[in-house]
Amino acid sequence: MVLERDILPYLQWLLGSDSSVGALRQFLLVMLGVGLLALLGGYLIAAARHGLLRGGDVVFHTVTSAFRDLFQISPRRVWALSVLAVKEAWRRRVIVVLGVFFIILLFASWFLKTDSQNPGRLYISFVLTATTYLVLGIALLLSAFSLPNDFKAKTIYTVVTKPVRAGEIILGRIIGFTIIGTGMLIVMAVSSYIFVDRSLDHTHRVEESSLKRPAAGTDQQGYLGRTSLDAFHRHDVDLSTERDGIALSNHSHTHSIEAVGNSQRVLGAEGVMQARVPHWGKLRFLDRQGVEQARGINVGSEWSYRGYIAGNTQSSAIWTFDRVNEVISPESEGLPIGLTVRVFRTHKGTIGKNIQSGIQIRNPETGVQSQLDFFEALDGKVFNYDVPRKLISTGDAEIDLFEDLISSSGQVEISVHCLERGQYLGFAQADCFLRLPDASPVTNFFKVYASIWVQMVIVTSIGVAISALVSGPVSMLFTVSFILLGFFKETFVEIAQGPEYGGGPVESLYRLITQMNMTVELDPSVGASAMQGIDRVLQTFMWSIAQVLPDFAAFSTVVFAASGFDVPTDKVLQDLTVCMAYVVGLAVIGYFMLRTREVAR
Amino acid sequence: MSEEIVVQTRALSKVYRDFWGRQKVRALKALDLEVRRGEVFGLLGPNGSGKTTTIKLILGLLFPTEGEALVFGKSASDVSKNERLGYLPEESYLYRFLNAEETLDFYARLFEMSPEVRAERVDALIKQVGLDKARKRQLQEYSKGMTRRIGLAQALINDPDLILLDEPTSGLDPIGTREMKDMILRLKDEGKTVVMCSHLLADVQDVCDRIAILHQGELKELDRVDKLLTVADVTQIRARGLSDECQNEIRDVISRHSGELMEMDNPTTTLEELFLSIVRDSEARPGRRAKTSTAEAESKEG
Repeated sequence: MVLERDILPYLQWLLGSDSSVGALRQFLLVMLGVGLLALLGGYLIAAARHGLLRGGDVVFHTVTSAFRDLFQISPRRVWALSVLAVKEAWRRRVIVVLGVFFIILLFASWFLKTDSQNPGRLYISFVLTATTYLVLGIALLLSAFSLPNDFKAKTIYTVVTKPVRAGEIILGRIIGFTIIGTGMLIVMAVSSYIFVDRSLDHTHRVEESSLKRPAAGTDQQGYLGRTSLDAFHRHDVDLSTERDGIALSNHSHTHSIEAVGNSQRVLGAEGVMQARVPHWGKLRFLDRQGVEQARGINVGSEWSYRGYIAGNTQSSAIWTFDRVNEVISPESEGLPIGLTVRVFRTHKGTIGKNIQSGIQIRNPETGVQSQLDFFEALDGKVFNYDVPRKLISTGDAEIDLFEDLISSSGQVEISVHCLERGQYLGFAQADCFLRLPDASPVTNFFKVYASIWVQMVIVTSIGVAISALVSGPVSMLFTVSFILLGFFKETFVEIAQGPEYGGGPVESLYRLITQMNMTVELDPSVGASAMQGIDRVLQTFMWSIAQVLPDFAAFSTVVFAASGFDVPTDKVLQDLTVCMAYVVGLAVIGYFMLRTREVAR
Repeated sequence: MSEEIVVQTRALSKVYRDFWGRQKVRALKALDLEVRRGEVFGLLGPNGSGKTTTIKLILGLLFPTEGEALVFGKSASDVSKNERLGYLPEESYLYRFLNAEETLDFYARLFEMSPEVRAERVDALIKQVGLDKARKRQLQEYSKGMTRRIGLAQALINDPDLILLDEPTSGLDPIGTREMKDMILRLKDEGKTVVMCSHLLADVQDVCDRIAILHQGELKELDRVDKLLTVADVTQIRARGLSDECQNEIRDVISRHSGELMEMDNPTTTLEELFLSIVRDSEARPGRRAKTSTAEAESKEG
């Protein structure tokens, strides 16, 4: 699973540390900045309309009445307005969206490849992505058009002439549409889970004719064979002498086999939906000479998420794990590890054979390390490796995992080596983890829906806030722009910070039109200075916008469920906190937009 | 501001501007008026005279360009003044997807009424405006008159001290108009203050105590209705059962005192009174058909 950003513990994320500002402080700074800008902008507009002194008076009264209104907000009125929003959405047949969703589910299996190597990932990605788009779409339409329709139909007159604060109208709409969206999400979540579960559930028969005793000279007892070909795949089976056993992993799942009389029954698929709970460490690399580096070898990919280690050299990837004795019980049989390997071949190697690799465990305090244990690296697969309790050290002594290899402070190092010359193995920090007991895939599935809910609430808040001032189509366009920029926030920030080559937006446009190479410096001229000056202004503006843009790509936890990983609770809490921050901020913005406009214009 | 003055405007002006701040229309020019507690105050004027603009400025739906409007001593932009205020807009802008009960319940909730008081008030108002049989129907199925009635009900949901009515009789049939006027007079008897704006002169004359006449945004006249309409130098006498001799004697008396007899004939009733009496009669005796003038002449000959 790709995890480009570390997930910090919740309190550290919220309050900050030596290395990070803290989300709370960042939120307060942004609100202060936006507030000051709004005050300045409001004063300029008021001064233009009413004159300098009266303009200041207007701004002062607007701000003081805002504080007064804040303390006079009535939960009962907010609830009444929320119920109105729910009724409005319901009687405008928002339920049709569920119909569309069910139709999609009904016909999805016609188009989804069941012969995929990882059908669980495919189906889960599909339902979660479809849900996300539908829910965000309906949140956009409801929120962007509701208030403008009220203004157009003038029904807002009969509301604002009651003792209703502008903030109550905004909050009521946000809460009401959130309730409707939540109800729809729950229905979508339940039906999606049933769809995925039923679609992926299948079984096989054990082919009696394929059952054979293991080769002579091995310790294995029982039988080896294979299952029938069903759902575009079959499994190798490993049975005991009692004829029960397991259908080995294929297409990312297994089956248990139970003995029934003289034959066997293959049970339903297991592990199609997983929720691995990883405990991540910190990654560093050793280069070919064994010198420590922060990043691995770049094999030419523009995306530098993974660093590579060269085969048959001193190059290795080393993860250091903390608090191991807290997360794994010292009474455990061993240390379960999950390892995702990417392979870069510079030559074909031996056809049909995977890359020879080795894994080693080390105590960072004492330096004691185990002998290299060999495994075959398969590109893109999660390799489950159980470090046994008893190992042999590099000095040929028997060592205990917990007593000798895990330090007194609870740290352990795991290093991976590539053993084949000319081949490379690629790793990112999240590619190696300690496997804690799996979480419930059902709970995990619904945790992903919590992240979709967060996105829905933010879109609703944006739509309601901006629609307090502008018409329906304009607020829809604005909200769509916000969403798109949010999904591409990383690229947006890169442009705002100034790329290494090619300059800012205006300079890039100039280079495009003149077909100029982006690494060539512009000749000094008035025009070049003007372009760069405009770019600086634009980039400052873009950087300011980027501070308030919600990072929709980061909110999405679909990749967790699709890859079979548990969504960390810290991530869920962080997303919910960010959601609340956006609701508060946008409700304040919406309040001022509604308060300062003439309802009857 | 005295307890007696419910609404006060001081040099209230409104200029509509375009997006660029250029002046488009001067809707109201330095309006000064006061509305006292317990009176029915009329705002009269032709279309575009500033009546509705005045109402909207008082309600805080528009911001004044200059001057101020005070309601119960509070600024028009103060939301808390709406606790004691009811407003019937020109077209009863209500949520068409709600039914009558839901509509009144929603507005009652905005006044934070307890559930028991809310239920009682909603029920009483629905019956009062005669919509009991249609309470469960969505407003999109209502006729114009029914919509107006539910609009009035929402304006009275909080038993307000001040009610603002914008063209209250617009679009109503004569029965509806009469009922609306009766309602206004009833509110006055209860001690409420009513401000209504209309361009239908007869309606204003029937119910208002004081009127302000606006034209092109300026106040042209402000006084009591009876004072404004009294023709001081003409005396009107209405009498029943006068013989021809008596009428001639009256003519002589007027002539002896150098007076000018302007008119002495049988007065006419109003079309409204005639219409209402026919409808009342029809409801009391259904199936009875009116005699045409031809039929009446034939029966006389017979």
